[in-house]
Amino acid sequence: MKEVIDWQGYLAMFDEDALMIQSPFTLNGSIDFGSDSDYTTMAIAGLHLLFSRGIDITSVRSLPLVNTHAVKAATGVEVMSDEENDTPCEWNLLVGEEATLVFTNNLERDLAFHGPADLEALDPTFAEDMAAAWSRELELTHVSQGAYVSESAYREGANARLGLLAQHSGDALVWPPRQLDQDGERIPTANQALMARATVESWTKLSAAGAPSEFALRAPVLGGIQTVFVQFEQGPRGVFLVADDAEYEPTIGDQVSFVVRRIYAQEGLIRYGMKAIPTNS
Amino acid sequence: MVDVAVIGAGQTKYGNHPSGLKGMWAEAAEQAFASVDRDFEPRCVDEAFIGSVAFGGGQLGNTAALLTEHSGMEGIPVRRVENACASSGFALRDAWMAIKSGQADVVIAGGIEKMNDLSPERRRFWLGVSGDTEWERLAGLTFPGTYALMARRHFHEHGSNHDDLVNISVKNHMHGFENEMAHIRKEVSFEKAQSGFMVADPLTLYDCCPTSDGASAVILAADHVVRQFTDDPVWLRSSGAGSDYLALHDRPSITQVKATQQASAAAYKAAGITANDVDLAEVHDCFTIAELMATEDLGFAQHGEGGLFAREQRGVRNQGDVCINPSGGLKSKGHPLGATGTGQAVEVFKQLRGSVEKARQIRDAEIGITHNVGGSGATCAVHVFGRDRT
Repeated sequence: MKEVIDWQGYLAMFDEDALMIQSPFTLNGSIDFGSDSDYTTMAIAGLHLLFSRGIDITSVRSLPLVNTHAVKAATGVEVMSDEENDTPCEWNLLVGEEATLVFTNNLERDLAFHGPADLEALDPTFAEDMAAAWSRELELTHVSQGAYVSESAYREGANARLGLLAQHSGDALVWPPRQLDQDGERIPTANQALMARATVESWTKLSAAGAPSEFALRAPVLGGIQTVFVQFEQGPRGVFLVADDAEYEPTIGDQVSFVVRRIYAQEGLIRYGMKAIPTNS
Repeated sequence: MVDVAVIGAGQTKYGNHPSGLKGMWAEAAEQAFASVDRDFEPRCVDEAFIGSVAFGGGQLGNTAALLTEHSGMEGIPVRRVENACASSGFALRDAWMAIKSGQADVVIAGGIEKMNDLSPERRRFWLGVSGDTEWERLAGLTFPGTYALMARRHFHEHGSNHDDLVNISVKNHMHGFENEMAHIRKEVSFEKAQSGFMVADPLTLYDCCPTSDGASAVILAADHVVRQFTDDPVWLRSSGAGSDYLALHDRPSITQVKATQQASAAAYKAAGITANDVDLAEVHDCFTIAELMATEDLGFAQHGEGGLFAREQRGVRNQGDVCINPSGGLKSKGHPLGATGTGQAVEVFKQLRGSVEKARQIRDAEIGITHNVGGSGATCAVHVFGRDRT
């Protein structure tokens, strides 16, 4: 059996020229996603793991089950669909029947991975309620009150949101992005990735009643939503949700790292973003 | 340069108001007109500035013209002023500047919000609409969450604690109990406020202001016309304002509000006073931690000692160094966003003229201030009022 790596809230296994990544949860005996995960978030985690092993990937061929824009913003990797066969891709992303993905550059191989047997079983009621909430959020008619982030505004900030790309302004790093500096000069486009590690400076947990309307369907199921205010090692600070399945009670001074998860859906579009997990996750 | 006086002020009762926007505004304006000692008619007003965040979401364009049309002031120059919860604080500043500049002699500044005629789901609209939508709201924050982050950090840096916030809540409910215009006229025990329903850890229901309907209006006049209207003006001695980054994460500190520090420093300097001279302060306590931090930023307590100030009851009416929120503040009087700033001015006007309910009159009050904050501190207006002109 191959070594199983706990990576960004998923389970990963390398086998020579392939990487399998899967959800650590089961529902009614089948592997299933956690409440804010999907193929896109898992694909991004897999690419992060491949990068961390020094594997350079610029494009991947995949079935259209991953959000190509989110993957590109988070990793810089182009995801080609099967219809774009004339463009060669060194890597392939294979989507499993359950919540599993395989990255491979050798389709000739017979891939046979065996993950751990002791996966965590999701509470069926919780999973059903969350799935129903996401389903309603994804309806085109679902709109929120008061904090509308349009698709174009979301896409404009995606590199900073999903790739933590910061701008250089003098000696300082600026994140989230800003337009002009105090001299009236335009601050250059963000191109410096922040280390995905930060220190908790404050935190709160909003009750379902106090949560924004964008989270109104899921907050009661989750028992509220948790947010951390952090400072990155390179200086900038930010506010992030805690990943739904992190089981984490923050303390000021904690070190956290970041993973891509679903934030919310509106008008048929899932907004992805970074969420915090304790560094030992 | 011309001096500016307040010659009249009025407001609706805050809370679940039975009237719509036009009716609420007419009521506040009517109260303000009637409070002027000598004959005053709407046609005396040269110009109007009306604050509102979203006008109930129902009439986003040309709102001010609609309101003046329904209060006998049709035809005058008018505009809506929007700076989140500090909208009418800035409307007051604009009105003051209009007279200072010599462009007008009599100006009305007011504010209005209708917040309770929405369904519970739509009412969430108000919870964080003035924060940084793209970066804070997408991280799940509403204003209870934003202020909760500030509170926890203040506890960590300065050793303040939730009981300090409870003291503020109890005080403001006590002050508001006698205020006939207050939304929540209910005294709250320390034990009850201590054990409230958790809204955004560490802030409970008793740390949060209510969602209120309301309208308020004050009438300002230039010194050379004041005597036409009253022999008992309250002088608006100065106006200070400041701003800061919209999102907490862009600020160097989240336990200080720079906009308040800027606004109060400018206002005190222009009025020739210090914080020690202030007898009463209407402070923007949308959350109890906001009042705790404001007592520091306004200079009533040293930085980091706002908790001690609350613990020692130094803001209690006719008991402490300065009365903080004699009206009950946003916590008890209520917080109809756009109306709050000029509503604070209504209270200070009445306190300095000795015309509030007897039980809550501050003795020998000479100088009062209003402190009106937009959002979590992106904007702030501070005004100094005095019995004396200088």
